[in-house]
Amino acid sequence: MSELVKEQIKLVLDGKECFCEKGEYLYDVAKRNDIFIPVLCRSDAFDDHRACCRVCIVEVEIRGKSKVVTSCVYPVEEDCTVYTQSEKIKEERAVVMALLAHRAPESEIIGGMAQGMGGTEGFARLTPLEAGKCILCGLCVQACDSLGTGAISTVLRGTEKRVDTPYGNPSKACIGCLSCANVCPTGEIVFEENEKTRTIWKREFELVFCEECGALMGTREMLERAAAETDGEVPKVCDACRKKAMADEMMHTYRFV
Amino acid sequence: MTKRTEKILVCCGTGCIANGALDVAAAIEAEVAARNLDVEVSVDVVRTGCSGECEQGPVVRLMPRDTMYYRVKESDASAIIDSLEGDPVEKLLLKKGGVQVEHMDENPFYALQHKVVLKDVGIIDPLSLDDYIAHGGYEGLKRALEITPEQIIDEVDKSGLRGKGGAGFPTGRKWRTAAGYDVFPKYIVCNGDEGDPGAFMDGSTMEGSPHAVIEGMIIGALAIGAEEGILYIRDEYALARDHIQKAIDSAYEAGILGDSILGTSHKLHLSIVRGGGAFVCGESTALMASIEGRVGEPRAKYIRSVQRGLFDHPTVLNNVETLASIPTILRDGGEEYAKLGTENSKGTKVFAMVGKVKHTGLVEVPMGTTLRTLIYDIGGGIIDDRHFKASQTGGPSGGRIPESLLDLPVDFDTLTEHGAMMGSGGMIVMDDRSCMVEVARYYVDFLCEESCGKCTPCREGLRQMRAILTDICEGRGQEGDIELLERICHTMEDASLCALGRTAANPVLTTIKFFRDEYEAHIKEHRCPAGVCAELTQFVIDAAACTGCGMCMKACPADAISGEKKTPHSIDQAKCIACGSCREACHFSAVLTEGRSA
Repeated sequence: MSELVKEQIKLVLDGKECFCEKGEYLYDVAKRNDIFIPVLCRSDAFDDHRACCRVCIVEVEIRGKSKVVTSCVYPVEEDCTVYTQSEKIKEERAVVMALLAHRAPESEIIGGMAQGMGGTEGFARLTPLEAGKCILCGLCVQACDSLGTGAISTVLRGTEKRVDTPYGNPSKACIGCLSCANVCPTGEIVFEENEKTRTIWKREFELVFCEECGALMGTREMLERAAAETDGEVPKVCDACRKKAMADEMMHTYRFV
Repeated sequence: MTKRTEKILVCCGTGCIANGALDVAAAIEAEVAARNLDVEVSVDVVRTGCSGECEQGPVVRLMPRDTMYYRVKESDASAIIDSLEGDPVEKLLLKKGGVQVEHMDENPFYALQHKVVLKDVGIIDPLSLDDYIAHGGYEGLKRALEITPEQIIDEVDKSGLRGKGGAGFPTGRKWRTAAGYDVFPKYIVCNGDEGDPGAFMDGSTMEGSPHAVIEGMIIGALAIGAEEGILYIRDEYALARDHIQKAIDSAYEAGILGDSILGTSHKLHLSIVRGGGAFVCGESTALMASIEGRVGEPRAKYIRSVQRGLFDHPTVLNNVETLASIPTILRDGGEEYAKLGTENSKGTKVFAMVGKVKHTGLVEVPMGTTLRTLIYDIGGGIIDDRHFKASQTGGPSGGRIPESLLDLPVDFDTLTEHGAMMGSGGMIVMDDRSCMVEVARYYVDFLCEESCGKCTPCREGLRQMRAILTDICEGRGQEGDIELLERICHTMEDASLCALGRTAANPVLTTIKFFRDEYEAHIKEHRCPAGVCAELTQFVIDAAACTGCGMCMKACPADAISGEKKTPHSIDQAKCIACGSCREACHFSAVLTEGRSA
């Protein structure tokens, strides 16, 4: 056998026989085999997963010994039997979802998921936060980091932990790209936009429009950042108009060859 | 005339310094100088690390005659110098059962201990490399340099040493796994981020015998093939950091550290990283994240640090006490060390004993010593001979051990089997005036602040548990609260990301397990049996027992107590804030508690 071919591992996922390569994450194996595991803090956009929402927990049984693992970061190293809906998992996932629902009382998505995964029975006693939709999944921070911006991060620790800019001030590093808002699963990150400006993380950005067609191109900071990274100039027209202009020029050139 | 070498040892651990030990040492030095004693007696005032009995500090010991003085003041310097030639200063001796005790071994606090890790602490000058070497220091390293890394690990294996930070993972096995990876550089990291409330074992070890920790690290580095080591020390341990840094400097100067360890081709460079004071950074992966300059949050440990730790390289992380045990193991052999302790927990364990015990302080005993021996024989029992209720071991992540388990041997496994744990060595002794629900609430509150807040069960579970426990303590407990707490606890145990989160439920689970009746009294009867929870407690004076001494009246901050001298006093419930000061002040047990009528 060639060394390039990795060891094959056999798993039984909720009764279904599946195969995977050694070291593959359990969540990915399940997804490939159409076995649904709920998850909140994992995005295909990133290779690393924070494994912090704990919704994707499953039970793994190896040689008769069973343990609860986080499927999004659990590397499958040997043959095993996996239960994604055992009584234990259902109970613990219900508790985790109830905890999240009380943390993000304004999020319909989280409330709905909690309802679907265990309901409200026994949890009426829990104290909800006054407001908010944030479940501290950290995807926004991951998105900002992966773009090299690093404008936001989690701040403080324990029950006080939250996502914010340094010292809660308007961040100098933020370029107003909205990646954080787009990746947020609950819609907690809000921004405002009018004809001229966009405001996010307490900072106002000038919006730039295409000189040809008037389409929104982004914030001034986004365009400058992209230009600096490619050693180019800040464009005056949008991508579509730039391509159209190029095509026109080529058509013109070829017509006279 | 013969020149005598007498030593006056002044304990200068953090506890004794707080009680004025530095002034005492200065006064003794001044007295020695003033009397010009250098001809007959050469007195060497050694500023040592913690001798252990912090409660009685500052402690001064005269050697070689072995006279221990307790609670020494500056003004005692002259009398102490006098006693070098004559009888001991009586008022500074310890009184045991009405008899004065002069020597260290006669004090049961020391007599029942067996010191391996702390053997030099309180004896040597921690800032003197020569002093450490004179007491057998770096002998273990010399032996380690003569044998192969494999043989070093064999020796540690034979000793049966297990990680003393609380988890109890076999040190030899950890080293062997790390040695097996051919990925370089490798790192050895010392965890000096001791953060359990009431714990000061590691701090005292680093302060009092810094070279022992360094020697242990060098031996570990040789075993696994690391050439760089880091000591992660919490920011609050200024003295420990200072002593470790000075010890590192002197080890470099002496050629013990650096590019050629004791003239061999082995290398090791050590440096200190200051922890930012986050409890969670004592967790191995959070600690490494912190060293790397990232937010101190743990990661999932499915891939272990020995394979991919610091900067994704093989890393061995050992606790201070574990590393400080290594020199002795190498010097005397693993088998010798394994003679101490129980079948599966070898050697000794250091405990920082605090709380309602008569003699608080640092004690080192063979594994398997019972709690009863620790608390009653070494610690002298409960203050005011009150009733023992529980002992909190292992900090917030540990458990509360009830009276019924007092005779169990304390080691890694026995207490765990009974639903408690030994933990890292912090031990808080509680008497019958401690409310177990309130204690659980205190630890949950601590963890609410000290959890990293990354994963849901730990962060949100703790927040909800704090709210429920506060309700119970303040009389708003509801039917079903205990069961809901248990549900949250079990989810935290299984689904939290790191060991801190998985054990954060312990304060609640162990108190429910062993003191469920107390929870029920709060919830169903609106009564705090220990008389601690102010909203549920009413203090009354037993007229038959009250002598009218007036002590309670003096102690009351709310002017709620009245009464003529020598006649029974009474408490005005409208003014009383239920702080319990009167009960603490009363010598006649005349202040009683009862539930507050709704």
